[in-house]
Amino acid sequence: MVQSAWAVALNDLAGGLFLLTAVALVVVRQVQACLAAFVLESVLLAASAFILAAASGIPDLVAVGLITIAVKAVLLPWLLRGTVPEEIYTRRELSQLVNVPASLLIALALTLAAYLIAVPLAPAQDAFIRVNLPIGLAGLFISALSLVTRREAVPQLVGLLAMENGAFLAGVSIAPDLPLIAELAASFDVLVIVLVMGILTRAIHEHVGTTDIVELVERSDEEEL
Amino acid sequence: MTLIVIPLLPLAAALWALFPQRGRAAAGATMAAAAAAAGAAWSVALRSAAGAPTVAISGWIACDGLGALALVLVAGVNLSAAIFSYGYVSARLAPAGSRAERRYYVDYNLFAGSLLLVPLLSEPALVWIAIELTTLLSVFLVGFTRTRGALEAAWKYVVLTLMGAAIALLGFLLLYWALRGAGGAAFTWDGLTAAAPRMPAGLMQAAFLLVLVGLGAKLGLVPLHTWVPDAYRHAPAPVCALLSGAEATVVLYAILRLVPVAAGVPGAHAGGWLIGFGLLSVGVAVFLILQASDYKHVFAYSTIEHMGIILVAAGLGGALASYGAAAQVLAHSVTKTFCFLAAGAAAVVTPRREIQGLLRISPVAGAALLLGGLAIAGAPPLAVFLSEFTIFRAGFAERYPIAAALLAGFVAVGFFAVMAHVNRAVFGRAGVRKVIPLPGACVFALAAASVPVLWLGVYVPRPVLGLLHQAALWIGR
Amino acid sequence: MAAHMLFNVIQALTVLLLSPLVKGVLDRWKERVQSRRGPTIWQPYRDLWKLFQKDEVVSDQSSWIFRATPYVVFTMPLFVTLLIPALTTYPLFFAFMGDMLGAGFLLAFGGFFAALAAVDTTNPYGAMGASRTRMVGFLAEPVFIIVFFTISFVAGSTIPYIVQQQWVSPPSNFFEPSHVLIMLAFLMLLLAEAGRIPVDSPSGHFELAMIDESKNLEYSGRGAALMNWGGAMKFMVLQLVFLNVLVTPWGLAQTPSLAAVMLAIPLVFSKILVLLAVLTVIESSLAKLRLFRITEFLGAAFVIATVAMITRIF
Repeated sequence: MVQSAWAVALNDLAGGLFLLTAVALVVVRQVQACLAAFVLESVLLAASAFILAAASGIPDLVAVGLITIAVKAVLLPWLLRGTVPEEIYTRRELSQLVNVPASLLIALALTLAAYLIAVPLAPAQDAFIRVNLPIGLAGLFISALSLVTRREAVPQLVGLLAMENGAFLAGVSIAPDLPLIAELAASFDVLVIVLVMGILTRAIHEHVGTTDIVELVERSDEEEL
Repeated sequence: MTLIVIPLLPLAAALWALFPQRGRAAAGATMAAAAAAAGAAWSVALRSAAGAPTVAISGWIACDGLGALALVLVAGVNLSAAIFSYGYVSARLAPAGSRAERRYYVDYNLFAGSLLLVPLLSEPALVWIAIELTTLLSVFLVGFTRTRGALEAAWKYVVLTLMGAAIALLGFLLLYWALRGAGGAAFTWDGLTAAAPRMPAGLMQAAFLLVLVGLGAKLGLVPLHTWVPDAYRHAPAPVCALLSGAEATVVLYAILRLVPVAAGVPGAHAGGWLIGFGLLSVGVAVFLILQASDYKHVFAYSTIEHMGIILVAAGLGGALASYGAAAQVLAHSVTKTFCFLAAGAAAVVTPRREIQGLLRISPVAGAALLLGGLAIAGAPPLAVFLSEFTIFRAGFAERYPIAAALLAGFVAVGFFAVMAHVNRAVFGRAGVRKVIPLPGACVFALAAASVPVLWLGVYVPRPVLGLLHQAALWIGR
Repeated sequence: MAAHMLFNVIQALTVLLLSPLVKGVLDRWKERVQSRRGPTIWQPYRDLWKLFQKDEVVSDQSSWIFRATPYVVFTMPLFVTLLIPALTTYPLFFAFMGDMLGAGFLLAFGGFFAALAAVDTTNPYGAMGASRTRMVGFLAEPVFIIVFFTISFVAGSTIPYIVQQQWVSPPSNFFEPSHVLIMLAFLMLLLAEAGRIPVDSPSGHFELAMIDESKNLEYSGRGAALMNWGGAMKFMVLQLVFLNVLVTPWGLAQTPSLAAVMLAIPLVFSKILVLLAVLTVIESSLAKLRLFRITEFLGAAFVIATVAMITRIF
């Protein structure tokens, strides 16, 4: 595979920015900003897929990129807006378990760990895998961190999908010819995730957000089991 | 052809339940679909027991010995849970013929269909998607009662298991990469096993660990086990039976599929990781059982314990251990289903979390809970005892005496811990005002589910034995 | 040799004479974006002229540090100018005296004196401003160090003349993630170090909220003029380092001829104008951060710089 310097540099750049958006997901304070960071991350994932498609001539990757943009950058925010109550969206100053500087440092440590794990696995001559695999793994780890530190529904959902983004960023480089049916099914899966968790968020918001104490007391005897 | 029909049967029942109908037709359709699926699965299993895999679409949909074991277990659990639901739903969840009842059956059948799908698929990427679907389709069942606790449990369940799924996804992608690097052709379980000796050890180890940890979240393996107690406590009893008896089985099936692949790569240390993770889970689970707050938690934690035992058995390697693993999968699925149905019966007769003197309140439910407790804790001569004993023997025979001894120690502590909780619930004075009679369907389901629990310990029928041997062959290759 | 000395002098004069203009342009543009008329771009020159005409008042409680500081603050950016590639891509006469670390030390030396002088007068606002400046400074320090590590690792050198060539040979290097991320991190540092929004508000007049400005409160007349001018030059020098060393060497004189060097002045200034446009957007769209949020701002810069390093090392 011929890897021109431009393709390598551009893919490197997409990877580096991907890592930054992953870190941004951990630290931003507003739901909207969180969502924006996720959309940007997905676009960068698609960009990496396009660059790899142009460099390696595998047409599947173009489809992967297009599906990613269509599902994660367009459909998903629209779907979330439809299912999750407005009030959750406009929320600012999200509560976090770990403060921002500390989570930044943990994210850095995770990135370092990802590089230490992934670099020995990547072949030295393939510049794409050497970038995408460690950054994908780091994205996976950092998004898992955001799942742990976040206490709000939508950021957790975004964190989950960002974990998948990380896996796919590694995937476009290591498994570019993965059967497209799997890719399609996975994208469908993303939509189901959003739908299911959106509905669940709505239910939680309705039941817990408007906690009817009288009803809870009445039920507490009959509840459970 | 049979293979394609099997997952479609519950789907048809789900569609049926979607539309309003008279009486309890949704429940009836569910039971009919479950019975048909069980019959079809049994016929597939009979063929596999004789050593002939069933293939519907080569490279995509097929079923061999291990797949047939998982398939027939899921179908069996589904059947007994469907029958139990007939009585349980109207007694506990929703009035007969209501919208909520139909909602339950739609969700239930979709979940069952996705569970039946997993053992039939040959391509790991599709298996991953099917497993993800089992999570997504069971969320609303876990949170069915829509109480605050149930919704929180559902949220925890979906977040943690999907987190695991994302980790496993990267593992599967690495597997695909390793396969390509080794010159393997088809991304199927068989193709992976064939190409395994040529794969690089470091890559295989990373891929296997990612899949183990990721899918382990669904089994409740220890790093990602915190969803387990809440989900099992709030989910309706038949759903618990499906979660523990069927879902854990199919996820375990996917991991067991990878064991021969990883073991085929020298230097990947697959056995060591399996034994390590397994023992950790068994140990933690046993101590969680000791301090569990009610018997439903006990059964939930005991699921983690048994998953750990099976992983240890798979990690030991060798024919005897593989047979032990397959037998333990069977024994756990059958027994745990019975346990959760018994817990459901107890919940029907006395809807409280802390119960005492169940034997006096309802002799049927009390006896069932006692039998379930004894069986799952591993009292001789029941099935769990036999398979666990096989695993210990294999551990000493395969020169892992320390692991086997640790495992035996944990299991012994687990036995007393389980029995202590079950005793408290079953015996003693009953302090309950009102008693709700147990619906006939529940009694029937309990009786039917108790047959394999009692029987498999003393006598393993010939087809089942053949199936176990076939499955063991696939695990231990 | 003589030509190189001449160019060095031209370089220093450029910074000396243009730095108030840079400040004036930025102020004017900011006002314009916010739909106000604003002062002319020559206003900083008028202010300097006015201050030089006025009498200077020095507290009798202060020591020699207070009187010496304006000169230190004024001269340090000029020294730095001699070291960095302000107009030329080749090292000039005095460039042997120090590398980028040297330039950093010189600027820090000026900052050190400014902080001492602020404490010297026992004006409470001065001490407060000095301590805040130090806080920002010590948070910015690790970022600076990582940035320097990374660029010297990439270029194999700490000499700015070597570093600047790295980004354009071959041209695809410009899009290296380490380069883009370093640019981003250094831009954030520039904002922090020069006391711009979102770290500090240079046009605010509320002493309690001041970080950088409150150190100059006690100065009047010539002292104030020198402090302001020095601040403007420091800002311009930081911009020159950013634009010429970290972004690209485009627009600099390639050959040692007077015409090329004179031509480089408008080219470099147009680069600065582009940066000023970016700064105008940043300053008009962001609000000043609360004091303890500065940690997060510089923490983000630290992460960016470290990511740049990691993507480069592996």
